Amino acid sequence: MRFARSIVYALIVATSALSLSIAPDALAAKSDDTLVVGTTRGVATVDRLYSVKREGLILSRLTDDGLFMVDPETLDYVPLAAKSYQYQDDVTLDITLRDGIKFHDGSPFGADDVVYTYNWMLDENQKTSRGTVIQRWLKSVQKLDEKTVRFNLKFDYPLVFRDMAITVMLRKKGTYDTEEGIKASSFGVNGIGPYRVVEFEPGKDVILERFADYYADSPKGRPAIKYIKFRVIPDIGTQQAELMSGGIQFLYGVPIDIAENIGRTGRANYLTGGDVTVAFMILDAAGYTAKNNPFTKLEVRRAFNYAINREAIVKNITRGASVVLNTPCHPLQFGCSQDVTKYEYNPAKAKELLAEAGYPNGFEFDLWAYREKPVAEAIMGDLAKIGVTAKMRYVKSTALGKARKSRETQVIFAAWGAGGTADAAMTLNNHFSLDSDRDFTGDAEVSQLVADAEKVRDKKVRAELYQKALTRITDQAYWVPIFGFSQNYLTSKDLNFAPPKDGLPRLYQASWR
Amino acid sequence: MLRFAIQRGVAALLVAITVSVATFILLNFSTDPAQTIAGEEADQAVVEAIRHEYGFDRPIIVQYGDWLGGVLSGDFGESYFWHQPVAKLIAKHAPVTIKLAFSAIMVTLIIAIPLGVAAALRPNSIIDRFALTVAVSAQAVPNFWLGVMMIILFAVMIPIFPVSGDETWLHFVLPAFVLGTSSVPAVMRLTRTGLLDVMSSDYIRTARAKGFRGTPLIMHHALRNAMLPIVSVIAVQLGSKLGGSVITEAVFALNGLGRLAIESIFGADIPTVQMLVFIFALTFVFLTFISDVLNAWVDPRIRLG
Repeated sequence: MRFARSIVYALIVATSALSLSIAPDALAAKSDDTLVVGTTRGVATVDRLYSVKREGLILSRLTDDGLFMVDPETLDYVPLAAKSYQYQDDVTLDITLRDGIKFHDGSPFGADDVVYTYNWMLDENQKTSRGTVIQRWLKSVQKLDEKTVRFNLKFDYPLVFRDMAITVMLRKKGTYDTEEGIKASSFGVNGIGPYRVVEFEPGKDVILERFADYYADSPKGRPAIKYIKFRVIPDIGTQQAELMSGGIQFLYGVPIDIAENIGRTGRANYLTGGDVTVAFMILDAAGYTAKNNPFTKLEVRRAFNYAINREAIVKNITRGASVVLNTPCHPLQFGCSQDVTKYEYNPAKAKELLAEAGYPNGFEFDLWAYREKPVAEAIMGDLAKIGVTAKMRYVKSTALGKARKSRETQVIFAAWGAGGTADAAMTLNNHFSLDSDRDFTGDAEVSQLVADAEKVRDKKVRAELYQKALTRITDQAYWVPIFGFSQNYLTSKDLNFAPPKDGLPRLYQASWR
Repeated sequence: MLRFAIQRGVAALLVAITVSVATFILLNFSTDPAQTIAGEEADQAVVEAIRHEYGFDRPIIVQYGDWLGGVLSGDFGESYFWHQPVAKLIAKHAPVTIKLAFSAIMVTLIIAIPLGVAAALRPNSIIDRFALTVAVSAQAVPNFWLGVMMIILFAVMIPIFPVSGDETWLHFVLPAFVLGTSSVPAVMRLTRTGLLDVMSSDYIRTARAKGFRGTPLIMHHALRNAMLPIVSVIAVQLGSKLGGSVITEAVFALNGLGRLAIESIFGADIPTVQMLVFIFALTFVFLTFISDVLNAWVDPRIRLG
């Protein structure tokens, strides 16, 4: 008995000692000025030129600056490393750089670095997936003087500042010319952004430190928090536990149910913000999967648009800041006119249309999906009400991509983030161009309109082109637009953070309370 | 005996190769690796460029042949996703998994052997029933659930252990417990039945007649002989711990081979996934082979079967 009591006492003492040794470290984030961000996947590279993941995009807003940036308030493109710009003609763009910009290694930034970076992207052997984006519109880059660079464009390209803001991050001249070449990019990055990488190994945590020599007139401003650490925690339950125990202070992309529940505990703040990601159904109107499939009939496509109760989906399932969509793009995006044919929820009308199309008793089809399963199930339920049976084929996105490419997918329920870009071009060109395997319209007119809109800078002309394209797309009911996403965050009570409109958290704006 | 060992060795190698072929085919047919590497929203031109660059447009048999040729010549290839040699990646992540697997086996032994012995010494008693209840529970509870419960209890409500990570030995306590308990039923039952068999054998009766009682009888005479089949089971369990730590590593954010496997699968990193599957299969096959040989050595009748 005495032995058992001793064991119990020993356990209590050990427990107390361990608690004391662990708890302070877990709760030290604010006191040691370190914001710990939980991510689900490991980061393979911190170099945005070689990263395609969203984590990479969020990281690069911290470590890198491009010539331009997305203004978080207006979502317009504004000069960042660039001080000003001047179009000499439709295809000649001169950009003047700001003074006093330094790379993280302390060396000064100048025109040579810009020319080097863009030439690297133009070189077809550089193996960065960003290259093909630039190669489409950029003919050459030349240095005019130490602070001025000239871009010679292939055509009048309206998204030039978008690509300069989101796609091309600036690198020091000679960065990739070492013996190790681009492999060096897997271990660090010498950027000009507000934070520098102090510790990184692929797949492991990334630790950033505020860059002391960050240029004073940067529109990003000077960050308030000294260190930001990205911790890889694959399991979302473990992420929540870390948040509640003080081990991490920021989570993004949290499922709404979890975000609301944790928010209610009072141990973390639940925040919700917009996102330009859209969810939709693509119907095989072109008959690529089978010439006489039901979706080649306009009445069937319209019936589907009437049949889905999008209001109910947004109200009951997606919630947060999600919105009902009437277009295949997000209302926040430039050119995404909402003055289009709208289909209110009307199952009776849908049944009528189905009967007109020759399907009074409905039909059966495969609904391909790879995400947002509850929404896909709600869609199946709505379709069942008009007599249509959807058989769900829920697969990995890559498997869906393969099936889509081989034209096996009659109906796809999918989502598109447009690279966080507030411009309809980034959604429409990938889905309505006849050159794309994502196009299931086979509509040459829409394809031409979308292509034309990408070759003119005049905003009014572009808006008109997109208006025509969207009018036709919605008239023809090629898609069933469903909802615009909500981006849900859980943050520590100690943190000030304003959710962005476009779903891309700017952590350089975060501060401690 | 040598013939038996060679036969089992060849069969084991064939199993490992079959597993690697199946993995290669499944990976290539179930996904589009070029699309995965390029990213979900990549332009088609980018995807096609990657397809050509990485050789995904070659016949699958040629791709497999290249990979196998590389492995046989000691070149495990370069990771598409992590942009590092696969051998280096595996070497970096293996220590965490090995540490976890051995800790888990220790947990298994610490719980299962005393329980099994106690149950065997008092068959059908309350201790026996308690031991069987523990075994059934351990078998029924899924690892991921137990992991989350352990975190809530011992890391959030009573913050004794860290929630996740692998920096110190403390980080391994909860995951080792979770992974270790899953093997408790097998080892506990084997200990119990083995010991029950041995305890009713002639030589134990003789030992008792000579005056041996209590711990010396159990430890020096009974348990020693009952342990042989247990050792072979533990070898197999160790293999399953090394290869099956995926979920536990994910729940506790341990950066071992399991997590590397998951991230590589999501990244369609075929060279890394292939090599990991091959290593997991080889480890399992090797340990099974060792246990087969051990059993055959102990019981010559197996060789004839």
